[in-house]
Amino acid sequence: MAWNKVAVVGGGIIKFGELFEQSYEQMASGAFDAALATVDKGFDPLQVEAAFVATQRGTLWGQEGIGGNTVPTAIGLAGIPCTRIENACPSGSDAFRVGAMAVASGVHDVVLVIGVEKMRDKSGDEGLLARAAAGHPVYTRGETAPVLFAPFATRHMHEFGTTREMLASVAVKNHYNGARNPNAHFRNEITIEDAIKSAPVCHPLHLLDCCPQTDGAAAVLLVSAERAEEFTDNPVYVAGFGVATDHPYLHEKSTFTSLRATTMAAERAYKMAGVEPGQIDSAEVHDCFTITEILDIEDLGFVEKGKGGVASLEGETSLTGRIPVNTSGGLLAKGHPIGATGVAQIVECWSQLRGQADERQVEMRNGYALQHNVGGRGSGVSVINILTTNK
Amino acid sequence: MTNPVQIIAVGAAAPAWRLPASEVAAAWGRKGGRGQAAACPPDEDVLTLAADAALRALAASGLQTDIVDGLWWGTTRPPFAEGPSHAFLAAAVGLSAKSGGTLCAGSAHAGLDALVSAADAVAAGSARVALVVASDAVIPGPGTAFEERSGAGAVAFVLTNDDGAAAIGARVTRTHPYLDRYRGDQEEQTRDIYDGRLFREEVFLPVMRDLGQQLAALDITAWSLPDPDGRLGAAAAKQLGAGTPASTGVYAALGDTGAAAAMLGAVAALDAAGRVAVVGYGGGRATGVVITADRAVPGAAGLGDILATGRPTTYAEVLRARNVLVPNGETVAMAVPPQSAQLVRGADEILGLLGARCVDCGTINTPPTIHPHCISCGSSKFVLEPIARHGVVHTYVINQTMPAPFQAPLPLAVIDLDDGARVMLQVAGDGATLEIGSEVDLVLRRYAVERGVPVYGYKAAVRPVDPADAAEAASDSPQEA
Repeated sequence: MAWNKVAVVGGGIIKFGELFEQSYEQMASGAFDAALATVDKGFDPLQVEAAFVATQRGTLWGQEGIGGNTVPTAIGLAGIPCTRIENACPSGSDAFRVGAMAVASGVHDVVLVIGVEKMRDKSGDEGLLARAAAGHPVYTRGETAPVLFAPFATRHMHEFGTTREMLASVAVKNHYNGARNPNAHFRNEITIEDAIKSAPVCHPLHLLDCCPQTDGAAAVLLVSAERAEEFTDNPVYVAGFGVATDHPYLHEKSTFTSLRATTMAAERAYKMAGVEPGQIDSAEVHDCFTITEILDIEDLGFVEKGKGGVASLEGETSLTGRIPVNTSGGLLAKGHPIGATGVAQIVECWSQLRGQADERQVEMRNGYALQHNVGGRGSGVSVINILTTNK
Repeated sequence: MTNPVQIIAVGAAAPAWRLPASEVAAAWGRKGGRGQAAACPPDEDVLTLAADAALRALAASGLQTDIVDGLWWGTTRPPFAEGPSHAFLAAAVGLSAKSGGTLCAGSAHAGLDALVSAADAVAAGSARVALVVASDAVIPGPGTAFEERSGAGAVAFVLTNDDGAAAIGARVTRTHPYLDRYRGDQEEQTRDIYDGRLFREEVFLPVMRDLGQQLAALDITAWSLPDPDGRLGAAAAKQLGAGTPASTGVYAALGDTGAAAAMLGAVAALDAAGRVAVVGYGGGRATGVVITADRAVPGAAGLGDILATGRPTTYAEVLRARNVLVPNGETVAMAVPPQSAQLVRGADEILGLLGARCVDCGTINTPPTIHPHCISCGSSKFVLEPIARHGVVHTYVINQTMPAPFQAPLPLAVIDLDDGARVMLQVAGDGATLEIGSEVDLVLRRYAVERGVPVYGYKAAVRPVDPADAAEAASDSPQEA
């Protein structure tokens, strides 16, 4: 495929959490500054040629129809080309993909990708999917976010014998990892019993099966690979990416044990990167709910279909497991500020590949890390990016 | 000489809840309270009850719904005080857009108004097949004398001029311009501002005596008599020498079902040959109709199950469902309002449950208006057809956390219908018996009342499990936590 190699030379996130004291603009500025500080040989902000901003839902902090112009002013770069990407939960990962394509095409040499989301300016009742109208506008009301995933848990349990203990093991592992990530929303460890005994939210999912509503921002700096050494001697490259869509409503699904958008996106990403699932050393996957991570690791080919629950319970996805998943704490512990989520996952992959993940560092055998989001109505959009240290 | 008007099938319906009278009495600091009355959960009302009864009668008749010439519907209180009540019910039961009929309302006499009007239309030849529906779910004012007897229910008759199991014969009407129960334009609840003794001695019993004596001359074998307060019915029966009226069991199970009461009481007697006097009262009018059954009327035997079922409820639950006990604070929209463009586009698919069957691959796409191309093969060639109303649960959830005015628990299920269509719907009730593999029926329900407007759509109702099947299922149950 004829595209110019793209390198990631910087990546930073702000401490995720309920950031009532920070504005959207302050969060964006904080993430940009954090990314700049990570560039080994320094980075002059004026080198940014274009920016891609992921914010999924401006209405969550009272801004309707925001465009690409809010962030450049907030980070002191008013005037640069800037485009806002909104593509459901994969907004951040899609902004990264679009930013990478801007460099790969040769149009730009230096691009900023930044994700910013303010979730907690609105109360839970007014917040994400609070209208309980995630389903079809005419047929099915009462669908909050958990309703998009809980039917998969019910069916996965029915077909494969997956248990609530297996679901809980995902939350336990991700909280363990989050406790070792200074930027995670939740930094407490939990037990299987804590998760199982937490309040019911949407049968069969309970509170600790669900990610929190989190404010946050993250940014990465992309450059053309041939200019990477101006910024670092330790660059990470974009190996490939894949995007796929599936039908938007649950009743249109042919299966409730797999997310087809993920399987299709994975096939495309692996093909573009020229790798097999077994070559991935570390993965940041979409764990908005525990069941989602179980589906993800099956759909991404890390474990056999139906074995995701057992694999999680047996520690295959832990920091020392066969395929470490969500070393950052994932959405469950690090938090899920939607537009920032995918970009923050890229930052974690970048850190792992460079051996800078501190307590969370896992062994890099093949030099590949995978980042994945899935979301939107009916989990009908998935974006996957694969990063590598291999030139 | 034309045939007398025939009844070829009947159907009945009652809401899911039964409110013990003792609950109401206790709330008002009274001792006692005898019996129970049927009450609507938030998702049932006069329209949904009417649809349930009508579909049962139509199913028992064996007729295709599109040959029904008209709908005659009697209810004290139509779901839209001014609005498309009749049109909604006709669409929900699958009548042709060319069907006619009448909406009768304003008092509990509306049920008999609908019955005699439909019979007249059939006798006159203007309708060959007429659907008569009577339903009520009056909201009694809290603390009124009739509150603990005020019930809910529905009944439907299918009339034709062809051979049926029963014939409609003589009728008698008496009027007396007296106000008993009352609800004004600005009022949500029905009041009792009249003098009970005055009504009994000077209005109700004299009217019943006069009218009853006319009917009694016709060799009546069973009576359906009005009993608005739990005592008047027995008094009327006594003065007529009617013994225990056939309607007694219906009143005991469901309370006073208002406009539906007279015909529901008749159904109780129509499961065998005989001559039934069907008497309704309301709004200062009483009408009696004689129905002669040569044999059991199809559908009449189903009444027993309806009277025997129902879940006990509390007074607080009923007050919430009646919008008397209302939570503070902001609420979210729960449904698609009937005045919206979405409903204009989707009325047939929302109320009539139409799907689009792909001509090329056979997949049924629901709802049609959001599927210009087939979800399976991409084709754009479809035929519209009603989707099946029975299916099996593929997967489900029970939502416990929703913004007001949604009430937890709210079960939602993905359902594989008998014709292969897959739909996702709310499940009626609390989901206690919901499982993968549960059999469900699609039933019209009220999703919400928003800005005073009722909003309707379909829910899945879990079929009661046969105890024998349940025992078998328990022996090889899935490993679900």
